[in-house]
Formats: sequence, C-alpha cells, structure tokens
Amino acid sequence: MRRLPAILTILASGLALAACQKVDNTAGAPTVYIDPGSSGPVKGVGIESQDIVGMTDQMLRDMLSQPRLANAATPPNVIIDSEYFYNESSSRLNKNSITDRLRVGLNRAALGRMQFVGRHYADMVAKERELKRQGTVDQATLPAAKAQKGGDYRLGGRITSLDSRDPRTGMMQRYSQIIFEMVDLETSEIVWSGIYEFGKAAQDDIIYR
Amino acid sequence: MRRLLATTFGLLLLGGCTTMEPAPFCDMGRVSSQRALVPGPTMVPDESSPLKEMPLNSANITDANIINKLYIRAITARRTGTGTVEVVAQVVNCTDFPLNAEARTQFFDAAKAPSEPVSAWKRFQLPARTVNNYQEFSMGAQTVDAYLIEMRETR
Repeated sequence: MRRLPAILTILASGLALAACQKVDNTAGAPTVYIDPGSSGPVKGVGIESQDIVGMTDQMLRDMLSQPRLANAATPPNVIIDSEYFYNESSSRLNKNSITDRLRVGLNRAALGRMQFVGRHYADMVAKERELKRQGTVDQATLPAAKAQKGGDYRLGGRITSLDSRDPRTGMMQRYSQIIFEMVDLETSEIVWSGIYEFGKAAQDDIIYR
Repeated sequence: MRRLLATTFGLLLLGGCTTMEPAPFCDMGRVSSQRALVPGPTMVPDESSPLKEMPLNSANITDANIINKLYIRAITARRTGTGTVEVVAQVVNCTDFPLNAEARTQFFDAAKAPSEPVSAWKRFQLPARTVNNYQEFSMGAQTVDAYLIEMRETR
C-alpha cells in the first residue's frame, strides 16, 4: 500500500506522455517545379537535366554556325536520332532525351537552312503510303512523292565515362564525355564534330532511374 | 643624427617588406565606378522607367557572390560564316581560389526585342588567377542585332 503513490505517479506520467503522441497533421514538403537548365536539389555524378539542356543547346548553336551545314546552296537533308548514338558510359539515361532535344531545337531554329528527315517515323510513313497506293485511303492534299526523303547527313556519337572512387571516404568522381558527329551518308566523311565534357565529384552517388 | 639613421633604417626595412601581388591585379573600386546601368523600357509612354538595367552588348555579373571576384576583361562579337553571331567574353578570376561560373546570352533584334530563346547556362572553370573565355553562338543569322550576357557562380 505504501507503493500506491509511486504507482499513481507512474500512471499519471504515462498518461501525460500518451497525450503528447499526436499525429503530425501538417502538409509534407510540396512538389516543386525546378529549372531543368540548372542543378536541382538532387545531385549526383551522372548526366543530369542541366547537362542535357546545356549540351544540346551548345551543339545546335555550333551546327548553325557551320557554313557546310547551315549555309549550303541547297539545304541538306539531315537525320538526327539515337540509332547511331551510343551510350558506353556508366550513366543510366535514355539517349533519346539528348537526340530528341537536339533535333527539335535545331528544326525550330534552322528556319529552312537544313531539312530534317524523320527516319524514326519511316515505318509510319511507309504504311500510309501503302494505304494510299492501294486505294484504301485517298491521296490527301499533298502531291505524291516518288519515295521518302533520303539523308545527306546523319548524326552519330558516343557517351563514355571514367569512374573513380576513394574507398576510404566513399567519395565518387566521374568524367563524362559526349561526342557528336555529323556524317556524310555517301562518303562517310565527318563534316562536323562537337564535344561536351565534364567531371563531377560527390560523397554519395544517387540513383538514376 | 642617430634619429635620422633610425628612421632611414626603418624605411629601408619597410621597403624590403613590400611584396608584389601577382597578376591579374583587379582594382574593384575602379570597376565599380565604371559600372553604368541604363534606363529599362517603360510601360508608360513619355515617362522615364523606374528600372535601371544592364545595357545591351555587355556582359554582366548578376551574382553578389562573385561580383568582386571576377572581372570581365573584354567582349568581342562577330559574324560567323553563316551569318550567326559569336560572342566571346574574357573572364578574369581575381582570387587565389578556383571558381566555377556559368553564363548565358540573350540575343536581340534591331527592335531590341529578344530574337530567339535565351541560351542555356554554359559552365566554365576558372583556376586561381587565370583567364578563361565564355563563348556563345546565336541561332538566328540576320535577325540578331544585339546581345546581353549574364554571369553567375555555380557549383
């Protein structure tokens, strides 16, 4: 019976503590839009949005300053897709995000100085041409072409990287090199080249998906 | 006589202490005094603008972190073989530390309206007390009449 006050004190303390355990009924961190041309809050050593925006912008501006590509008497037919653009680096990325941005940016800026062939849509065009010639559908409004456009130049390139890690600190470092080359589709001459390279170091690598 | 000798000796010692700072020597006081901001476009006709902004055809450090660390030594602009405009800004790192900076360029037409989308931020490294170049090409050819370069620190 002498222990009763102590038991009561413990019970009261327990009840008081239980009252403190509340739901944190506040909003979580909101989703925010970030500038894809600048580093975001999640940073690693791989290729990120600001690198893609930066490299494609640099390459298209450089191409437009090359007379052979952008000042020819007859605008050349150019194919830009990821078919011959290889990722041999340790960065996980969809290479279409590079070639698509390059093609779209160049097409919008070229204003007739180059013509772009959608070779990645060749199958789609072939099917429609076939339906027209079979008479399944009409000829539509544009005049019939003898064949799909051929390419004068096609983009090739390669992404490579060199990784190193300090086993004591876990510090990771990656050098990334991205090369772009425009190849003459008759002679295989490389008529234009561009390179974009950078090195990054971070304590912990992040996961790219 | 003794006092005169002591003073002379002291001055000689002080002279011996003088060290020459290595180039580049950036006189930020003069840089600041030469800075000129121009009136921006106003929305009310016949009224002066309350906005003082960066003049066209210039490079501007818009980041307080590096405004007293970098110095833009020269800017050149020229037409390329296709008629596009190439701008080159020579940037001096006045500090004893390496810096990472980035810059972008907006090109304008003759009416002083933007002639194309602003370029992406282009990064460049400046080791201690070195000069590096920021270079950008316009996308448009004959439509480009002026440019404006913005520069900031990056990681």
